[in-house]
This record gives sequence, C-alpha cells and structure tokens, in this order.
Amino acid sequence: MRTGFLLAGLAMASLAAAQTAAPELPPSALAPANLAKTRPKPPFDLTGTWQHGGGPNNPFQFSPPPGAKLTPAAQVHYDAARKARAEGKAYHDDIGQCWPAGLPLIMTRVWPIAMIQIPTAIYMISGFMNSVRTIFLDGRQHTDPDLVVRSFNGESIGHWEGDTLVVDTRNFVEDHHWLDNGIPLTDAARIIERMRLIDKGAALEIEYTAIDPKSWEGEWKWTKRWRRVNDQDITEASCLPDLNEHMPSTKPSQNVR
Amino acid sequence: MRVLLAACLFAASASAHHSMAGFDRNKTVTLTGTVKQFKWANPHSWIEMEVTNDKGSMDVWNIEMTSPAVLIRAGWKSSSVKPGDKVTMMAHPLVTGEPGGIFVSVTIPSGQTLTDRPIQPAAATPPPRP
Repeated sequence: MRTGFLLAGLAMASLAAAQTAAPELPPSALAPANLAKTRPKPPFDLTGTWQHGGGPNNPFQFSPPPGAKLTPAAQVHYDAARKARAEGKAYHDDIGQCWPAGLPLIMTRVWPIAMIQIPTAIYMISGFMNSVRTIFLDGRQHTDPDLVVRSFNGESIGHWEGDTLVVDTRNFVEDHHWLDNGIPLTDAARIIERMRLIDKGAALEIEYTAIDPKSWEGEWKWTKRWRRVNDQDITEASCLPDLNEHMPSTKPSQNVR
Repeated sequence: MRVLLAACLFAASASAHHSMAGFDRNKTVTLTGTVKQFKWANPHSWIEMEVTNDKGSMDVWNIEMTSPAVLIRAGWKSSSVKPGDKVTMMAHPLVTGEPGGIFVSVTIPSGQTLTDRPIQPAAATPPPRP
C-alpha cells in the first residue's frame, strides 16, 4: 500500500516537471485594478444604442471596390455566387443557416447595436442574434496566435488618435465567414476601423480598411454611418430551427452550398 | 385562382438574417386565405397561411416578416393577426414558384391594412432593407 502511494507521488511529480509554465494573461477588462488605472479622458463615449443608417450612400454591404482583384480561390466562390444569384438562389448563405454574421457585416444589420463604453473596453451587443463584440482599450496586445480562440467578430484592440478611435481586429475564423455574397473572409483577414463621432455626437462614422491576402489583393475601403437611437433597446434574439422552418429563403431548395 | 400576380406596386421591404436572393422583388402576389399561424418573435416574425390554389387544393404559404421592433413602429401588435383570420396578403414570391414569400402587406378582417413601414415620418426610423 505504502509503495503504491510512493509510485503515484513520483508519477505526479514527473508530470508536473514535464508541463510548461502557463502563459501570463492580461487582467480582465472588468478587473477593478485595471479599471482603476489612470488613463487620459477619451474624446468620446459610444455608450448608447446605434442603428446603421442605410440609404443609397450608406449601404449595408461591403462590396468589392471597382477594379478589385480576387485570389483564384475566392474567384471560384464569387463566380459561383453570381451564377446562383442569376438563378434566384442564395450562395453559401451561412447567416441564414445560423452561422454568425461576424465583423464587418454584424455592424450593418438592420437591428440596432447597444454599445457600452468603460475605460478599458467597449462592449457591443447586436440586436441580431445578440452577437457580442469587445473592443479592448486597456493597452493589451493581440493574443498569441497559438493561444487565441478565433471568432467571427475577431479580436478587436483599440487606441485613441486625437478625436478618432482606431480599432485593429484580427484572429478571425477560417470559414463560414463572408464579407459579401461570394467573397470569403479567412483567418488571414485583418480589419482596421477608424471611428469618430459626427453631427454633434448624434452619428457615428467608421472608415473601414480590410485586407485578406487569401481572398483579394491590396486594401479595400468603405465608410459607413450609424445614428444614435434613443427609443430602442436590445432584446433576446436566437436563430432557431423553428424559425428557419418558416423562412422559405433558408430552405435547401433556395440555396447553393 | 386566389393567387394573383400584381405589378410591383411596393418598394422592396424586408429585413432579414439571410440572403434575399430567392425572392422576386419585381413581382407581387396577392394571396387570399386563412391564417394558420402568426409568430411574433425575434429576429423575424412570420405568418403561415392556407391558400387554395388554382387546382382547388390547399397550399401552405410561409411569409417572412421583419422584427417585432420594426412592426411595432408600423402599428402592429402580437394580436393583430390570429389563427383562423381570413386575410388578404401581398408578398414578393420565391423565384422558384414554391409557396413562400417576403411580406409586403396584409389586410385583416377589420379592413385595416398593415405594412412593415413606420407610421411616423421616415426620418425617425430608417427604411428596412435586406
């Protein structure tokens, strides 16, 4: 009996010696000590509910700019999507099948977005599937690619440049994520947002710059605008099988996958 | 035949969590039938209705709608449409011809016609879009 305990103890000691040290993690954005750090006063506070404005000069789509050149891999999707559209069908409509919209499309859905700004972060909760996005403002770096859990909204880290919040988002998932119809976003994507308030704080303008060397060449840019809506709150919303049973456009017969 | 093809009288209006490619926005159908179900839910409401087709048998049409938040601003309540109601529905149909479409308007038994457009001036709420 005593020999058994001894062997077990030796085995555990040996296992512990073989383990590498756990990485040092940054303090949570909500950690009191992090919140209490002295920081310059931010030039604006996004706390509130925001709705993408829409309209002809402010489309919800992130369409390729004129002259855009896709990679061969992305071109296959783009051509297939164009063919499906001509047949009155959707192409890889992953959002309709309950996959998250992801950045940047989550920002321009018709549902409003609640934004809560604290000294260390901005939390964005979309009325569309309650998608959560966090923009860290506490000076942390992007997570080690070997440790990060990739996501549809990516990992967003912001810093202030004058009256502008510059947000760098990386670490996206590698599939089921689309920039526009037939244009895949991959794990190589990176999106820079330059956010500023306009119209005396009643509107938010974001200039987008997106790169994804696995899908297209160079940088693509768009500018979108949101307006503050003071009569709307975010409510629970889920993509459910029961819902899709009653959405004719999500049926297999309407989709090319 | 209770399903009538009409000119595209209404601007396309829909807000969706999915692609709108399957709907023919250049065509509007008028459906007269009986409400089977009306779901008041996020992210979309929907109406399922029974419509007699030109062969005399019954089709079940699923009509996609926008969110309750948008419908409330258009004057809707969760009780606006009930199972068993005889209604006249206008919708943009599926391109494939299957019974299904995206909501445009409905005339309920009281004679009131409901849309998904805000009652207040458009400036107060952006027009829904796909």
